Amino acid sequence: MATVQVSDLRKSFGALEVVKGVSIDIRDGEFLILVGPSGCGKSTLLRMIAGLEDISAGRIDIGGRVVNTLSPKERNIAMVFQNYALYPQMTVAQNMGFSLEIAGMKKAEIDKKVAEASEILGLNPLLKRKPSQLSGGQRQRVAMGRAIVRDPDVFLFDEPLSNLDAKLRVQMRAEIKALHQRLGSTIVYVTHDQVEAMTMADRIVVLRGGCVEQIGTPLELYDHPENMFVAGFLGSPSMNFLRGKIEGQSLLLAGGERLALPSLPMAEHGGDVVVGVRPQGFSVGTQDGARATIKVVEPTGADTHVLADIGGTEITCVVNDRVDFAPGEEVRFSITSKQVHYFDPTNESRIG
Amino acid sequence: MTAIAPRREDDALQLKPRRDPFLIILWIILVTFALVWIAPVVLIAFTALKSNAEVMATSAFTPPQEIAWNNFSGAWARGNFETTFKNSVIITVIKVPLGLMFSAMAAYALARIRLRFGKLLLLFFLFGAMIPFQVMLAPIFTLLNGFGLIDTYPGVILPYLAFGVPYQVFILHGFFKAVPKELSEAALIDGASHVTVFRRIFLPISLPVLAALLILDFVSTWNEFAMALVLLQDRHMWTLPLGLMSFQGQFSTDYGQLNAAIAMTVFPAVLVYMIFQRYFVSGLTSGAVKG
Repeated sequence: MATVQVSDLRKSFGALEVVKGVSIDIRDGEFLILVGPSGCGKSTLLRMIAGLEDISAGRIDIGGRVVNTLSPKERNIAMVFQNYALYPQMTVAQNMGFSLEIAGMKKAEIDKKVAEASEILGLNPLLKRKPSQLSGGQRQRVAMGRAIVRDPDVFLFDEPLSNLDAKLRVQMRAEIKALHQRLGSTIVYVTHDQVEAMTMADRIVVLRGGCVEQIGTPLELYDHPENMFVAGFLGSPSMNFLRGKIEGQSLLLAGGERLALPSLPMAEHGGDVVVGVRPQGFSVGTQDGARATIKVVEPTGADTHVLADIGGTEITCVVNDRVDFAPGEEVRFSITSKQVHYFDPTNESRIG
Repeated sequence: MTAIAPRREDDALQLKPRRDPFLIILWIILVTFALVWIAPVVLIAFTALKSNAEVMATSAFTPPQEIAWNNFSGAWARGNFETTFKNSVIITVIKVPLGLMFSAMAAYALARIRLRFGKLLLLFFLFGAMIPFQVMLAPIFTLLNGFGLIDTYPGVILPYLAFGVPYQVFILHGFFKAVPKELSEAALIDGASHVTVFRRIFLPISLPVLAALLILDFVSTWNEFAMALVLLQDRHMWTLPLGLMSFQGQFSTDYGQLNAAIAMTVFPAVLVYMIFQRYFVSGLTSGAVKG
């Protein structure tokens, strides 16, 4: 277990800068998730912490020690790769014991460590198998086993669940979280899946284009996104953005429709604003509110997603009831949520 | 279940898979080629077991009436096999594994270690494979003569190594490049050095390629003639292919003995093929990473 400090870290491939001065303080025992769209530099950042990628500028400390020039093996880290990267010619037990064997540990001790790890991960019946004889989920578990036998200071996970099917992903998500609670180790975890980030992380770092957009606990980010990118990235379906002018207690949309607002921005703001409302924050009816046209109705079973058009802006709304709208039907939308978010349309940052 | 009508005959015919005419043509071509390749083998086997009189009297593809085993003992003595066989074994047994080891290490370095002039080096290796050795024969002779290596084992093994390494590096480099990057990264994080990654990860998973290269290299080294002819002047240093020359007399040729000698020369290569072909199993990397 250790802290990890990333200070003004930069990485360029030729003229292209992919990590642009990232600073993150990762606490001891923290489960930190780096999340962002493809190409945001999150994997590069993780690989720099691992020592697999050179650092162009900046500093990385692990456990108070600068590791910039240290090789991966000197950093006492363990990494789980997206595609598992198991040694194909070795059995599960050999795969897990490989690092200990290289470290020169005695056979009996290796066996003990491997047994402990396989007990935790439920791999005991598979120890003698080769990776080719395992399913995807089992392989991923072996990859995790290989990481935990070493008692590393920091665990690094590079999109470990993206190769698994949806059901297994949910199961492994819970397992990794339970593993973290059991081992209490520092974990840096990269994903592009915001659901993974929300459910597992102690803190989330949202990255875009090589820069940190916001760092905070999942609920801080969900409830108080600092800009439209973070607001739109977290939450599923993503937040609706309505552009218009505030007039009194309501928002005047570009198409001339009015939506009543539950609250106003803290800071005084003249001119255009963007109002962010989560899909769960609307109600759909036939009586009051802004006029909208139904485009698509998607029943998921538990709830129904309604896509509609309000004065040229497409919005998604999640309703708990089974609704029976036809595409093209005119309905009325109103905001029921107490919490709406105000953003500046010019720089996309939060107002108030 | 009783409601199902009995199946009509043309329905049953429909179920039979149609044979792809392309596959049939392919098979015919394959069989033709196989016959072309098998014919000389049969000829050698039959002739090796016939007496000289029978060789002259019967057609080449008639099985021997009386088996003439003494062709083999005669050929062994006449071709000086005791010496040539020993020379061939020494040269091949040293050259083949050594060459393969050098090639594998070079290919690993070029494929996996970031080198400043890596691409240029690889090109340099490939260049070596492009030059026909006949062009180099005279300079090599002069060079080795200068070092006093004519008629010595190193005098043949060194040029063999030099001409064998480029194409092996080329093939192994391609294979190593295709090994998922994460595999070596995982090993580096596990604390392995490049030597360990090479020895413990890359060598085991490239067994099929190594076996193929070993067989190819064994056969070509074992059968090499032209360079040996130039570099080995002394009869006592001759290899098997050079020994076969002594069967081509100026005025007569003993076909029975010649073919017995050929059979004995080819046998070790066949044996090596049989031993190592079982490593030709594909999919050794399966399960390493999600495909």
